[in-house]
Amino acid sequence: MSWTKTTTGKTIDIVKTLPRITLANLRPNPGAKKDEKHRGRGMHGGNRSGRGHKGERQRGNRPRLGFEGGQTPFYLVIPKYGYNANHSRRPQYPPLSLRRLQYLIDLGRVDPMQPIDLTQLVNCRGVAIQPLKQDYGVQLIDEGADIFRAKVNLEVQVASEKAIAAVERNGGVITTSYYDPRSLQILIKPVPFLMSGEAIPKRLLPGEDLLPYYADACNRGYLADPDKVQAARLALAKKYGYTIPDITMDTLFETLTRKKKKKKKKKKKKREKHGLLNAKLKEFLDPMHQRLRIW
Amino acid sequence: MAASLLGRRAALFFGFTKLNSFLPAAVQQIANYNPRPLWLNIKNPYIPNKESEKTPEWQKTEKYERKLFGRYGSASGVDPAKLWPSHTRLEELMAEEKEWHPPIEVMLKNIAARQKEKEQKRMEREKIIAANMAKMPKMIADWKKQKREAKQKQREEKIKRDKLLAEARERFGYALDPRSAKFKEMVAEIEKEEKKKRKLLKRRKREEEQGSAGTTAAESSQ
Repeated sequence: MSWTKTTTGKTIDIVKTLPRITLANLRPNPGAKKDEKHRGRGMHGGNRSGRGHKGERQRGNRPRLGFEGGQTPFYLVIPKYGYNANHSRRPQYPPLSLRRLQYLIDLGRVDPMQPIDLTQLVNCRGVAIQPLKQDYGVQLIDEGADIFRAKVNLEVQVASEKAIAAVERNGGVITTSYYDPRSLQILIKPVPFLMSGEAIPKRLLPGEDLLPYYADACNRGYLADPDKVQAARLALAKKYGYTIPDITMDTLFETLTRKKKKKKKKKKKKREKHGLLNAKLKEFLDPMHQRLRIW
Repeated sequence: MAASLLGRRAALFFGFTKLNSFLPAAVQQIANYNPRPLWLNIKNPYIPNKESEKTPEWQKTEKYERKLFGRYGSASGVDPAKLWPSHTRLEELMAEEKEWHPPIEVMLKNIAARQKEKEQKRMEREKIIAANMAKMPKMIADWKKQKREAKQKQREEKIKRDKLLAEARERFGYALDPRSAKFKEMVAEIEKEEKKKRKLLKRRKREEEQGSAGTTAAESSQ
């Protein structure tokens, strides 16, 4: 576009007189657009269309990326080291954010009037746990700690400090407990286990790696000293600057302080025949023999 | 229909006792998931006939009996006492547990012991480091001194060499190579002269001392 130099008039006046911008007036910058190369349109009728001569290359049958003709490929020869070493043997804890928990409670999928356990969370399809993929439970994440309002008796496997604070601030009770893989499978899917007629196994203690975590009051571990837990509650309240509501005055005190027995006893569950289609009545049988009771 | 559900009466109808005052009325009912239907004939369960030959073998196994009990309970006619481990099996299990799953006190002790060992190692290493660091100023000073002395010596050597060279230059009239035989001879000569001078000095000194000693002895004897 040739600009005429004006001394009296302004650019805006010029622009006003110019025709409006249409597709006919627009053009890309020279060099911005390069013509696409169309395969099969080259010299000699395109011939092989840039695919080479015979073989897997031309016929599109090359093996997967990384394959070295049968030789152990580089990406398998080099062992995993450091950060990634033994990754498949490490316990994993799929996260449960406070935001998600609040969402589940708000929608009525999980009942805050009852203790909220991994079973309840799985029943309401709030989390997806795969014990066979080295999942050892669920971890409580502090995303949504600012909007969390529910008062719950919560039991998870790992919890971050801020999440613990958020739960306790609202007058709830949180515990971290350990389930070994077999117990975990039973916990998340109790019905298939009960139908199998097996004796309920003892919940094993955590190994020496995880024992310090669950014996620590700061993590609200189930093996920790209750007095220390109380002290930790106060300390955390001080740290984050809130006052702990007195749960002894709470109407739901009994629910909030309900705890599980540390070692699940050996029991057998059976289904009672009922008139209805859904047999609801279940009976726990205890072994009478002394040795079995001890064990 | 929705309106009729939204109410406390509806909540009671759906069968839970306590109501959460936090939740709005619309969500007073807890969502009831309809689980998968359990395809289990509880009214007329199939309990296989143990004596008959027609029943397949797998229906007479212990595992199947366990499952029967799990599904139908006492109606299956299975004695629940069988389903717990037998005496021998129980022994095995107890032994296994004793070996592989120590009680909590033992585990805590092991952890404490390991921690202590680590701490001890760390303390020892720190001690060694501290001791060495305490030695450091002296070592630095020694090293500096050593370097200084070496330099000094080097300088002196240089001066001596230059002097000898100058001497040789004077004597012979041209710049003599210090490695040649003549130079070495000259050096030897100079050494001899120096030695003689030193000896003379020593003798004179001794005489002086003797003389002074004699006079003092004479004075004292007087």
